[in-house]
Amino acid sequence: MSPVANEGLAYVDALHNLARYLTGNQTDAEDLVQETYARALRAEHQFTPGTNLKAWLFRILRNTFLSLYRRQRHDPTVGGLDTVEADAQGAGIESWLLGDIELDRLRKVVGEEIEAALMTLSEEARTVVLLDLEGLTEVEVADIAGCAVGTVKSRLARARAALRQKLKDYAR
Amino acid sequence: MTCDDVRTRLLDYQRGRLPLPTQAEVRTHLDACADCGRAEAVEQELTSVLEHRLPQYPASLALKRRLAAEWPARAVERSWWSRWRPALVPSLAVASVLLMVPPILYYERATSRAASERASLVGEAVNDHLRVLSSQHPLDIESGGLHQVKPWFEGRLDFAPVVAFEGDAEFPLRGGAVGYFRDRKAAVFVYARRLHPISLLVFRAEGLAWPTRELTRIGSVEAYTTAERGFNVIMWRTRELGYALVSDVDARDLRQLAARMAGGQ
Repeated sequence: MSPVANEGLAYVDALHNLARYLTGNQTDAEDLVQETYARALRAEHQFTPGTNLKAWLFRILRNTFLSLYRRQRHDPTVGGLDTVEADAQGAGIESWLLGDIELDRLRKVVGEEIEAALMTLSEEARTVVLLDLEGLTEVEVADIAGCAVGTVKSRLARARAALRQKLKDYAR
Repeated sequence: MTCDDVRTRLLDYQRGRLPLPTQAEVRTHLDACADCGRAEAVEQELTSVLEHRLPQYPASLALKRRLAAEWPARAVERSWWSRWRPALVPSLAVASVLLMVPPILYYERATSRAASERASLVGEAVNDHLRVLSSQHPLDIESGGLHQVKPWFEGRLDFAPVVAFEGDAEFPLRGGAVGYFRDRKAAVFVYARRLHPISLLVFRAEGLAWPTRELTRIGSVEAYTTAERGFNVIMWRTRELGYALVSDVDARDLRQLAARMAGGQ
């Protein structure tokens, strides 16, 4: 039996979590995960045994999301991470970044605020932050996102800077 | 190394992705530079906030059931002989006359039977876990700690379940229930990992065809680890008792829990 059929379902929670943060709602997330698994089974012969199955499934999920969902909706952040980046790196970021006050504020934020902050980021930024949390390497994230490793590195740094900026605002 | 050099490498530094000399250089700079030290603390805190406080959305049990129902049935693992038989049969036909058939047939039947038994045990463990999850009252006794759950089983089982792990902050013990594993009663201890329930089934192991191959050492035991229908399963045996740990948590997390349990046996 192929690794996809044998172990694929073990990653359903991680896939659903990313799907939920991409689509923003439970129903679409479940549909996205189901479609992801359907596509994975159809393409299981393309999976290379010995490589990261979880990363392979994430790539299918993201491609499925892009083809099915993102084009259907008005997404103000479709313009890309650069939009977020410009906001995040606005004037004065260094002044709060380095202070003990910011550290104190970060320690007080609650789950809803973190989620809200994450959802304000572009889909690309959300994806790199969540995949990084899943413990994937930069090479794997680059493969999933379809970009260079250097791009992943800079996207992640900018996304985290944007998150810190948002969380600073929430914690005031 | 300047402050700018360090700031751009902070995340890689925290992830241990830098070459060792660069890692040491960054460490030295952080020890000496208070501003960069604070910046590093902020990055660390952000990672901690994301890892521990960002809400997680695991798949619902309903979705898991739908996917499991549509998933290809897990085939009994085929032996190497089964895979190569079509190519080898012609040439072996002659040789088989010279005494090869009996041992080969015996081997094939034995390995096939062992794989089938193994798959059956794993399937039973996953089914028992699902029964616990889908029950309206999954716990017969809510946990006030292992000292409260274990005595509760007295008189309800025909054996004493040996479980030393009391649960901790990462894997709290939620409670226990009496279940069945195949034809025998089982003690079911329910732990949790964040929102995910984890079932530990303890049962008498005699008469069960326990896996003897592809075992991995976890703590002090040789365990069989696998995944079925989206659930990770770890099984081991200690003297006359069998243990099956089942959950949809990440395989690494489940292994950590198994190590804590097996370490105490």
